[in-house]
Amino acid sequence: MPEALPVPLLSAAPEPPRRGRLTVEIRQHATGWHQGLVLAGGLALGMALATAILLACGVGLSDLIQEFVVSVVSSPASLSAVLIQAAPLAIVGLAAAVAFRVRFWNIGIEGQMILGAVAATAVAIHDVGPAPLRLVLMMLVAALAGMAWVLAPALLKIRLGLNEVISTLLLNYVAFNGLLHLLYGAWRDPASSFPNSEQYEAAERLGELGWENLTWALPLAGLLTVLCWWLLNVSRFGFLSRVAEANPRLGEGQGLPMTRVMLAAALLSGGLAGIAGFSICAGVEYRMTQSFFSGYGFSGILIAFLARNNPLGAFVTAILVGVLFVAGQSLQVFYGIPGAMVQLIQAVIVISVAASDFFVRHRVRWVSGRRSDV
Amino acid sequence: MAMALELLGVSKAFDGFQALAKANFAVEAGEVHALLGENGAGKSTLMNVAAGLYRPDQGRIRVRGREVDITGPVEARSLGIGMVHQHYKLVKAFNAVENILLAQGAARYGTGLAEVEAAIRAQGEAVGFAVDLKRPVGSLSVAEQQRVEILKVLVAGAGILILDEPTAVLTDREAEALLVTMRALARQGAAIVLVTHKLGEVQRHADRVTVMRGGRIVASADPASLSAAELTTLVVGATTPQERQPAIRIGGAVLSLQGLVGARSDGLRTLNGLTLTIRSGEIYGIAGVGGNGQTELAEILMGVRRAQDGRIVLAGDDVTETGPKPRRARGLAAIPADRQAYALAGDLSLAENYAVGGLASGRFGGWLRVDRAAIRARTEAAIAAFDIRGARSTRQKASLLSGGNAQKLVIAREFADSPRLVLAHSPARGLDVRATADIHRRLREARDAGAGVLLISEDLDEVMFMSDRIGVMSRGTIVGEFETPADRQAIGAAMVHHA
Repeated sequence: MPEALPVPLLSAAPEPPRRGRLTVEIRQHATGWHQGLVLAGGLALGMALATAILLACGVGLSDLIQEFVVSVVSSPASLSAVLIQAAPLAIVGLAAAVAFRVRFWNIGIEGQMILGAVAATAVAIHDVGPAPLRLVLMMLVAALAGMAWVLAPALLKIRLGLNEVISTLLLNYVAFNGLLHLLYGAWRDPASSFPNSEQYEAAERLGELGWENLTWALPLAGLLTVLCWWLLNVSRFGFLSRVAEANPRLGEGQGLPMTRVMLAAALLSGGLAGIAGFSICAGVEYRMTQSFFSGYGFSGILIAFLARNNPLGAFVTAILVGVLFVAGQSLQVFYGIPGAMVQLIQAVIVISVAASDFFVRHRVRWVSGRRSDV
Repeated sequence: MAMALELLGVSKAFDGFQALAKANFAVEAGEVHALLGENGAGKSTLMNVAAGLYRPDQGRIRVRGREVDITGPVEARSLGIGMVHQHYKLVKAFNAVENILLAQGAARYGTGLAEVEAAIRAQGEAVGFAVDLKRPVGSLSVAEQQRVEILKVLVAGAGILILDEPTAVLTDREAEALLVTMRALARQGAAIVLVTHKLGEVQRHADRVTVMRGGRIVASADPASLSAAELTTLVVGATTPQERQPAIRIGGAVLSLQGLVGARSDGLRTLNGLTLTIRSGEIYGIAGVGGNGQTELAEILMGVRRAQDGRIVLAGDDVTETGPKPRRARGLAAIPADRQAYALAGDLSLAENYAVGGLASGRFGGWLRVDRAAIRARTEAAIAAFDIRGARSTRQKASLLSGGNAQKLVIAREFADSPRLVLAHSPARGLDVRATADIHRRLREARDAGAGVLLISEDLDEVMFMSDRIGVMSRGTIVGEFETPADRQAIGAAMVHHA
């Protein structure tokens, strides 16, 4: 055995400071109020940063206030543009939130939107069913088609443990190419021979509400939001989904139907995505185009993430994203701000809100440098 | 001579919870100093302050008589303080040499692996540790991983060694060997801090003991001057009598297992025709060395794993082919060994963890609406009735409870519907004296209320103390049954001879 253990150097020991310092601790419980306040703070910071960037680009402060605040509030045209934008965003946000609630990472929202739109368009083109029920039928088949598109990935995950990120993502390409096949083939518009479906007839369009050009897509999104809120936050299904999210084995051991909950949530997510596809075709474009879905998949994921998978939060977030969208467009058109800059601003705001989560889960505390008496 | 390490008036709060209140602790070179206390008494927190993982809100730290400010683990290491944590901090895919090199900090990354390996080998031989340095750490046994951890801090030059519950995961023989090695290191001039809640270790191996309770130091003494009863009193505040209480009234069979065959997930057959019967009003203890099929038996009984052959008859009904739900409807309650797997969800609140049990019964509302007020009221009542401490709100996350209190929450949920069969797998593992006594009392109460209790434990003392009948399990079958009071030697022999 050696004579002694290695003796470490003591000279490196620093002098103890006498000042106070900040510590970061994990917060044990945050109230709803606190969460809301922190979120608002994050949003304010993001807005401030975005304002600074735009000022540096030469946009005047008054112009900014005009575009982001005044026109949204005072100009009915801008407000309705925001709300028209927000309705499908809210629905895809719900689709993502429902799936993420049970840790089913549905990246295939766009594919499910395409399937929903294809099914709805098939009903529209072939004039299936009586005209007064046409819209309801279109919405139903859209939801069923979206569900069908997510069924295989959900079953593969549950039965074989296949990663749903890969399967849902790849099915997007299958759906997209199927869509192109239809639009460049059988369903090409006979009137214009552009690669989109023929125009929907009046009975196949979501009606206007009579204020600006808002359609029934917005109340539909609102209704779905309330239904999802009830399902996730009030009903037993919501409770089961929380168990499935936190520790499915706990639920299994208690005899709770964990796999059925996961399957149901995945199907619901696909169904909502299908309805989102329907709502864009029947509420905004009145036909199926080859790019109606573009970007909605990731917007949905973003909205669900910012809203912490809360349906009511998803609706509010969708409106905010709508504001960013519409104001961004007018910045591009009227102020010559490049599109990349608009995306940068949107990203800055999103990151600020996302980062504020740190203050929900942690607390920062000042510890005075006062020493105790021994 | 100056103390090797002194912590003076150290206080630390976590989000309003006072984990340490002006704690004083000192260890001198050449001694093995036990830091004794219940789970949650503040032992690990205090030592984490010394190791630089936490910074105290108040208080001073002196190393070898010199006041220091430990701002992080790197400073602690440079001061010669090394800590072996309860949960090892090793990269499982790395071998021992790579793990130890990693812990040396960037300054040593230039050193050749061969040199580091030679240093480790010399250090390992010096302390009598035989460790395979080449195999990935993940493939080593728990005891070997611990040796890698100890070598890691020794090679870093630690003269002050802190071991947090080092024997919790070791067999008796491994634990004995470790403590003898620590004694040898102390003789060479190291200061050893042994964080533990085992009285026996303190009495056999420590030169000095400091007792903590509720974040405060309650005593520091020579363990030889204190009896076990006195030490217990210091730890828990009041003596808890430990007397065997045999069954009062034994009834008919509630569970009968006939020729049960089962396998692990990797296909290895671990249950080979196990047969046993449990009657209402008795505790049937299964003793045996771990890994002889206990885990699979528990999972098959819970219904989360299918039996390959044999029959399970619960309260008169054959439930072999059913899942957990019908079994629970027939009165099964389960306290699984791995709380994080089948018993609790750390990210859910106390109320949610409690309510998963009664959800199917409808007492917390129907399908359309979950009755949150009822859940909160029931959970609050359970927290009071089962003396669950550290629960400031029913909305608090379950992961914030200490082990003993988390186990009480599990029991509160499982016992809510007066079970007819209780499956308890290592229910007191890792728990302190008081929590263990509480949990044992609950098991006895369930038995005396007419339930049959199946207690599976690797702790022979626990099985002997609790059981009315004992079965020894080896290689997936019961190799011997004993009526109590049983002969400990005979049970031990049955365990070993078939192993």
